[in-house]
Amino acid sequence: MLIPRRVKHRKQHHPDRSGAAKGGTQLSFGTYGIQALEPAYVTNRQIESARIAMTRHIRRGGKVWINIYPDRPLTKKPAETRMGSGKGSPEWWVANVKPGRILFELAGPDEPLAREAMRRAMHKLPMKCKFVTREVSD
Amino acid sequence: MSEVRIVAEPRTEFGKGAARRVRRADKVPAVLYGHGEPPRHVSLPGHELMLALKSDANVLLTLETAEGDQLALPKAVVRDPIKGHLEHVDLIAVRRGEKVTVEIPVVLVGEAAPETLVDHQITTLTLEADATDLPESVEVSVEGLSAGKTVTAGEITLPRGTTLQQDGEQVVVQGLGVISEEALEAELEAAEEELGAGQAGAEAADEGDVQAEGDSPDNEGSESDKAGEGDDVPATEA
Repeated sequence: MLIPRRVKHRKQHHPDRSGAAKGGTQLSFGTYGIQALEPAYVTNRQIESARIAMTRHIRRGGKVWINIYPDRPLTKKPAETRMGSGKGSPEWWVANVKPGRILFELAGPDEPLAREAMRRAMHKLPMKCKFVTREVSD
Repeated sequence: MSEVRIVAEPRTEFGKGAARRVRRADKVPAVLYGHGEPPRHVSLPGHELMLALKSDANVLLTLETAEGDQLALPKAVVRDPIKGHLEHVDLIAVRRGEKVTVEIPVVLVGEAAPETLVDHQITTLTLEADATDLPESVEVSVEGLSAGKTVTAGEITLPRGTTLQQDGEQVVVQGLGVISEEALEAELEAAEEELGAGQAGAEAADEGDVQAEGDSPDNEGSESDKAGEGDDVPATEA
C-alpha cells in the first residue's frame, strides 16, 4: 500500500478541496484513464483496492499506472474523547484529488476490456469519475 | 492532409470578461502570430473549429480575415479538462511551401509476439515537413516485437518529405515481458492480504480506543479518567 516513507510534519491541516486540477488532466502514459469529476480525499486503501480490481479484470494483458500519491495525513480523535488535548493521531493517508485529475492509466487491453476494468475500479473510489481515452483526452 | 476554411473575426476587447463573452457566443478566442509580424487576436466559430481539430490535430486552416486569406496551423489548443470544449487556440501563420516543425501522432500497427506487452513510450514524433503537406500520422510496425526489443525514433520509416527533429535514440515502443499467472496471483493475494490486515488492524484499534477512552456515566470523572488524555473536567460537571 502506498505510504510516505518519511514526512516533515506528522500532522497537517486538512488539504484545500476547492478548485479544479491544475495539472495531470491529460493521459501521460497509457491509452485509457480514469478522470475525477468531483473533489475527494482518496485514501491509500481506496487506491490499492481500485488497482487490485483493475488488475484482477485485465489479468496479464496490460499495464496500470497510478498517477496520484496519498501524501497527506488526516487525523482523528478517538471515539468518545472529550474535546481539547490537542490534535488527534494520524489515521489515514490521502491524495487530495480535484476535478479533472487523471487517477489511473491503463495500456494493453482493447477498449471494452479496459472500460470494464476501469468501471470496476471506479466503484472503489469515493467520487464520480469517468473513463477517458487518448483520443478524447487529447 | 485536410484543409479547412474558417471565418476569423478580429477581437478588439481583451481580458477574461471579453473572452467569456466570446465563448458565450459559441466562438473561440484565438491568437495568430508568426513571420515576425505583430500578433493578431481573432475569434473563430466554435463548432467549425471543433470539427476541424477533431479530424486532425495538425489541420491546415485557411482563415478568412478582413485583410485576406491567411494559412495557419494550430500550435497550442487549450481545452476544458473535464468537458473538453475549446477555450483558446494559438495559431501560427504559415506560407505555402514553408517547412514547419510539428508533432505527428504515432500509430502502432501489427501484432506483437505472444506473451509480450507493447509499451508505447512516445506517442508523437517531432517532424519537419511542408506546411501544406503534413502527414496525419506515422505508422510504426510492432509485428513480432518481443520482450526486451525496442523501436527507436531513428529506426522509424518517416513519411516522404519529412525529417526527424528529435533524438533518434529515443525509444518509441518497447516490448515488455508479461508477468506469469502464478506471480500475478501471488502479488494480488499479497496485496489483498495487506488490505485485509490493515482493515482488521484498524477495527481492533477502534475497539481498543473505545474501551480505553469510553466513559460510562458511572465512572465519569474518576481518577483513572483524569489521569488519561482527556481535559480536566470542572467540578460542576463531574
